[in-house]
Amino acid sequence: MLLSLVSKRSLEVDSRDAYGFALRPQHVQRYHEYLSIYTEEETERGEKWKNFLDRLDHSPEPCSSEEEFQDTFPADDDGSESGEESAASGEGSRKEKHESELGDDEEVQQSEKCTSETADEVLKESELDKEAEVLEKDSKPVEDNNNNKEQLESKEESGSEEGSRNGKHESEFGSKEVQDPETVDEVSKESEPDKEAEYLRVKSLEKDSKPVEDDDNEQSESEKDKEKEHSEESGSDDEKQTQSVKQTVDHVDLQQGNETEKPVAEADKCHEKEQQHKKSRSVIEWADIRPCLGSIEDMMCTRVKNIMSMKNSRRSDHASSINKSLSSIGESEQDHDSETSVGRSDSIKEENDAQSSVTPKPFFPWYEELEVLVRLGVPKDLRGEVWQAFVGVKARRVDNYYHDLLDHITNFDESKEHDVQRKWKKQIEKDIPRTFPGHPALNENGRDSLRRILLAYACHNPSVGYCQAMNFFAGLLLLLMPEENAFWTLVGVIDEYFDGYYTEEMIESQVDQLVFEELMRERFPKLVNHLDYLGVQVAWISGPWFLSIFVNILPWECVLRMWDVLLFEGNRVVLFRTAFALMELYGPAIIATQDAGDAITSLQALASSTFDSSQLVLTACMGYLSTNEARLEELRVIHRPAVLEIVEERMQKGRVWKDKKGLASKLYSFKHEGSILLDEQNSTQKEDGENLEDGSNVDLELDSLPDLQEQAVWLKVELCRLLEEKRSAVLRAEELEIALMEMVKEDNRLELSARVEELEKEVRDLKQALSDKKEQETAMLQVLMKVEQDQKLTEDARVSAEQDAAAQKYAVHVLQEKNEKLAAQLAQMEKRVVTAETTLEATLQYESGQNKALSSPRFAPQETLKKKTGFLSFGLGWRERNKAKQPEETNDDSTSNATSEPKSPEESKSEDLLNPETKR
Amino acid sequence: MGCAASLPGKNSGALNGLTSSENAAPADAKNLRVKLVLLGDSGVGKSCIVLQFVRGQFDATSKVTVGASFLSQTITLQDSTTVKFEIWDTAGQERYSALAPLYYRGAGVAVIVYDITSPESFKKAQYWVKELQKHGSPDIVMALVGNKADLHEKREVLSEDGMELAEKNGMFFIETSAKTADNINELFEEIGKRLPRPSQPS
Repeated sequence: MLLSLVSKRSLEVDSRDAYGFALRPQHVQRYHEYLSIYTEEETERGEKWKNFLDRLDHSPEPCSSEEEFQDTFPADDDGSESGEESAASGEGSRKEKHESELGDDEEVQQSEKCTSETADEVLKESELDKEAEVLEKDSKPVEDNNNNKEQLESKEESGSEEGSRNGKHESEFGSKEVQDPETVDEVSKESEPDKEAEYLRVKSLEKDSKPVEDDDNEQSESEKDKEKEHSEESGSDDEKQTQSVKQTVDHVDLQQGNETEKPVAEADKCHEKEQQHKKSRSVIEWADIRPCLGSIEDMMCTRVKNIMSMKNSRRSDHASSINKSLSSIGESEQDHDSETSVGRSDSIKEENDAQSSVTPKPFFPWYEELEVLVRLGVPKDLRGEVWQAFVGVKARRVDNYYHDLLDHITNFDESKEHDVQRKWKKQIEKDIPRTFPGHPALNENGRDSLRRILLAYACHNPSVGYCQAMNFFAGLLLLLMPEENAFWTLVGVIDEYFDGYYTEEMIESQVDQLVFEELMRERFPKLVNHLDYLGVQVAWISGPWFLSIFVNILPWECVLRMWDVLLFEGNRVVLFRTAFALMELYGPAIIATQDAGDAITSLQALASSTFDSSQLVLTACMGYLSTNEARLEELRVIHRPAVLEIVEERMQKGRVWKDKKGLASKLYSFKHEGSILLDEQNSTQKEDGENLEDGSNVDLELDSLPDLQEQAVWLKVELCRLLEEKRSAVLRAEELEIALMEMVKEDNRLELSARVEELEKEVRDLKQALSDKKEQETAMLQVLMKVEQDQKLTEDARVSAEQDAAAQKYAVHVLQEKNEKLAAQLAQMEKRVVTAETTLEATLQYESGQNKALSSPRFAPQETLKKKTGFLSFGLGWRERNKAKQPEETNDDSTSNATSEPKSPEESKSEDLLNPETKR
Repeated sequence: MGCAASLPGKNSGALNGLTSSENAAPADAKNLRVKLVLLGDSGVGKSCIVLQFVRGQFDATSKVTVGASFLSQTITLQDSTTVKFEIWDTAGQERYSALAPLYYRGAGVAVIVYDITSPESFKKAQYWVKELQKHGSPDIVMALVGNKADLHEKREVLSEDGMELAEKNGMFFIETSAKTADNINELFEEIGKRLPRPSQPS
């Protein structure tokens, strides 16, 4: 019930939500946007629930007494009441407006209700509130009392101011009488010591008076007062009072007993320690839930009882299987496994049957209506108690069990402690400050409560012990209900709803992940394909979701609404459905991402900003109806063997957690069944692999066993334990064998992998060589081609040279022809010359003939003859010369000179052209 | 040409080492992407190291990690290579180690953290080294981190011990303080430098 301690001032701080949980800075604005919607929804569901409970109460259903309901209900319906009251004083109403602005915290309104009589009072009150807050953080004991009346009176004594306020408190009843005709009956009954009616109201008053009470002396005084009141009250107990009140009184008696007996038992302890003890004791109190929830509680308790009887019958089956295994010692471990897993699934199916036989209409016609209401959310001020009703805490609770566990923890000799137990303790110590760090209600006392619950649970069920995540659950429950109630609720959730989830091997949790992944593939194939493509496994994301039951994953409004459904339904179906709803809402955004990191980051960011709780819860509950417990169980059976196999593989690390329930919880079941109270019992430990053998350190203090029946029970337990030991020894042997095999395999694998590597290297080398060869080849080819090209070039050159040569030959030929022509011409010319000579000779002969004929005219003709001989001698001289030269050179005369001149350059040229040819 | 022949061999390594096996975005030599997993005993400061690295914040009472949590951060190395770390911060309690394979499978980097004031956490670190050698990918880059170096007056694990363990197992070793941010960036930069670079296709 620590939530009641969340003072209104802490709510003013922007960074926390209405529940006192830290908001991420980026969400503050959105949260405030949604705050008005939350308030609206809250009012709406407040009315709906009121109507529902009203009708439930008037129905012929067997439930708690009507009168009591009427007594208590107005106390539940704070809003309207305070509204009426505040109408009486302007100050009050103004203040209330302020309050509702701050967020409709129930407690705030309550505290106001008590004090809204006069303006002065209000002012004083708000001052006191502030003061209280400051002090609360330091040292306010977390007192959640049923004994409100007593406290009230003790406070009356503690100071005149308190007294006067109390007076006002009573006068407030008077005013109510006038204002509210409906409550007239109630008020008359309020004179009876009915604690329930005033429970909340006085709690707030108690809060106001805390600073004054904080003094140690005063507290012990008030405690004495309480004791005084006890006797008075138990005397004045009305017969009309219901079982719930009787239980409270039982509890009170027990406390008295504690307080008187403890000093004797622990006489050696110093006084201070004793006082501390008492102080802590005062925290641990059991409070029944308000009777108007009785019918719901009854229904759920029936469910719980059915499940328990189922388990009992299972246990007897178990016993018979133990007998079997006794006869056949050599039974292998795997057989055990399959046996247990099959047994488990069977029993769960039975549970389902049982559940369905409990829930349907014939017994509870309003079940469906309630279901709808739960899906719309449980009102804040009812939530703690409704949750207890859902979990069936009343049916689970065993008187004194929690106290015994705590005694056991505090008085335990540390040297006797097991390693495992010490480990849990250490882990719990580490985690306590890390549970909702900075939450205003989890002050030192709150954290003490948290520690006690966790330690007690570890003791209660050693097969789970302590698992991270439970700290958050216990913390959350503590914020909503008194410590012992929180303990029993936690027991219900972890032992039953999440059976096998938080055990050492977390088998069920892993199974659920496989199941979830399969269902995801079925429902969101595109999304899963995309995630596959990005290399993201669904379980990376959903694992933390499931394990933390969405605590710290979603905004608180969503977490609480989801828990409403979870606790109501009594199974984990809603986890799956919520996860589907989230995937449905945010799948499109994820498909748009292009790398694994972005996908996960965006999904986380989107989930943590899911402020629309109604959308989420309704999508989850309405959209995925085909995902039901039967289907899940079917899939779990399919996937479980795979997980078990992996777990077995891991077993070589030395831990054996075979049986799902620890011995202590078995004992608890025995106790619970037969209401047998064992005085003290040491919880037994599941052994570490190393000290598996020394099961003897499971020591039960048996001295105080009162009768044979208990001894029989104890012997049974002992038998179970021995069998477990034997089985774990067998397991261990098996496991070692597996380890050996594994090592052998490992060796082989190593060898093989080395071989493969070698081969790979070889292949690589060969490939390299091949490519080198190829390279060479191409190089060669290139060279070859070059050579060919050169060749072609030279060929061409040769051809052209040949052509040239031919041309030159032709030229030479032409020249020779010319030469011949010329020679012919020359010959002609010589012929002519010869003719000319003959002619000349003829002429000469003619001349000489004429000279002989002409003798008389000797002188004159002689002169002319001389002239003629001159010409002739020239002709003759030329002929002589020519005759001498002609054999060697024809060109010697003037005509041949003219033709030979142009011939000479042609000749030289042809000689030049012919030269290369000859050179080549 | 020789390069092409050696590609297949290197490729498998690069796939394991970088970019979480079947990634979508192409990893080139200048933009690396790597999945990093933080392992170690409860309360040694794994989440604090990540928060300091990613957001530059330190909160002495941070929340207990349930299952695992995810954050990512990109850094630029001196040679202007960018490395995007996809960091999985796992739960420290022993039993959650049953779920650890889910997260370290396919991781390119494993950072094993212990608390220098707690010999027990050092033992746990040794356990993780063994576990990863057995079940992690063969060319995973491993770092051993001794956190809470600011509490040196309470030191119970010598630096030498850490160094020795790291050397023996081919890891690199660094002592950090998430509180003072000492060596936090250095840790991740060093990891970045040691990442296998994807071989460039010619």
